Amino acid sequence: MITLWRIFKYSWKNVFRNAWLGLATVFVFMMALLSVNVLLGVNVLLENTIQALEQKIDVTVTFKKATPVEVINQARFFLTSLPQVAGIKVITAEEALANFKARHADRDPKVISALNELSGNPLGAQLVIKAKDVSDYPFLLQTIQNPQYASFIQDRTYDDHQLAIAWIQDAGRKARIFGAILVAIFAFFGALIAFNAIRVAVYTQREEITIMRLVGASSFFIRGPFILEGIWLALFSFILSFALLIGVSAWLDNVLPPLFDSVRVGSFLLTFFREQWPTIVFVEGVGMFGLVALVSWAAVGKYIKR
Amino acid sequence: MYPPDVVALQNVSLKIEPGEFVSIVGQSGAGKTTMAKLLIADERPSTGRIMVGGWDITRIPSRDIPQLRRQIGVVFQDYKLLSQKTVYENVAFALEVAGESGKRIREIVPQVLKIVGLEAQKDRFPKQLSGGEKQRVVIARSLVHAPKVLLADEPTGNLDTLNTRDIMDLLLKINQFGTTIVLVTHNREVVNALRRRVITISNGNIVSDVAQGKYILSV
Repeated sequence: MITLWRIFKYSWKNVFRNAWLGLATVFVFMMALLSVNVLLGVNVLLENTIQALEQKIDVTVTFKKATPVEVINQARFFLTSLPQVAGIKVITAEEALANFKARHADRDPKVISALNELSGNPLGAQLVIKAKDVSDYPFLLQTIQNPQYASFIQDRTYDDHQLAIAWIQDAGRKARIFGAILVAIFAFFGALIAFNAIRVAVYTQREEITIMRLVGASSFFIRGPFILEGIWLALFSFILSFALLIGVSAWLDNVLPPLFDSVRVGSFLLTFFREQWPTIVFVEGVGMFGLVALVSWAAVGKYIKR
Repeated sequence: MYPPDVVALQNVSLKIEPGEFVSIVGQSGAGKTTMAKLLIADERPSTGRIMVGGWDITRIPSRDIPQLRRQIGVVFQDYKLLSQKTVYENVAFALEVAGESGKRIREIVPQVLKIVGLEAQKDRFPKQLSGGEKQRVVIARSLVHAPKVLLADEPTGNLDTLNTRDIMDLLLKINQFGTTIVLVTHNREVVNALRRRVITISNGNIVSDVAQGKYILSV
């Protein structure tokens, strides 16, 4: 017990007596953790943005003017029953006209005056379809093209949006893969940087290790303070990097405008780190402390001559 | 670690009695330090047998080495002090590694610091001490376990005449208390002044072993 207490005590003394080296090590650890966490945040933010874009996508099917209401309702019920459909909104011919007028009231007065000269409503009713997944749209449009409804359909917006939908789908998929690879690479380099920082810290004290051995210290007694010292430094860097991350996220919340009228970058990151901190702390903590302990153990062992 | 074709010591056979003061002398590279390293298991002999106080340390396992080093006090020419620790902490460290209680350490350390005359410097760090003072700290550290044997490898190598005399007086005082002293040196004046047993090594061989010997210059 007394030995464990002394190991604990010496680890703290080492931290304070090697303050500059410790500070440099903490800084390196902090950079490694920050790069991984910032990338993690950016990756999640990107994914969220892609999702927000995907949610903005819908497909509008415009029926011919003379289409009976029963056919439109039937099409709506049919589509609602499909598992790929997230929601359907019916826009009557009158609502479609009102929307059209509202949209062009200020920008195109000539269009509005031409419309007023027409007798009656030239627009048909519309079905606005929202799929659960972007990849479901081609299937849904294929489905509604069946002979029961095809003759009533005048137009659909999917053809206009097809390229944009494909781009978003592709960008989302690539962003997820690229983000995961980038996080893995940064985690690897972070570990490598931490690994070398410890080796340098131990190297600077190699003479001390040899002396401890010569005066009769056991390997455990020599290694213990180094391992604990490394763990304290990792703990400091852990706390500092998270404090910095939260501080910067809060600052971004005030500075950056919301993305797509809804996603506030800072708030989003804060929420993400607040909700995910147990997982992040566990994974990074186990990784960092495990790495520090193993590297310290091995690095000190190199200088324990017999 | 020596290359395979280099023989550091050969045909060496000697016995040192308890309470003796023995000087091991020879020119640089003669094998003196190798002999000292064998005694503290810092090197292993390729053949032969080494006994310390009835303990066969020829093939001592690594885990037992700390135990051996707590029983043989060692003084080095380059001091080998822990630079991050104070004088008191350096001396106390040798007791702490052995698991001595705090109370016992607080009793022993001031006593040995008094013996070597460093009570006033106990809170200083090694870099704040003179060469002679550093060597005294090393001697104090080697005394905390009240060892039966004190091995001093060139203890005066970095010291001036005055400090050399002080350190030698201290070693003689320790020897008077019954501790066996093994002094490894190539300092002729020191050896000649002692008039104690002198073992001369040359090219890894013992060339003379005289009860009240002198440093043989021609070897």
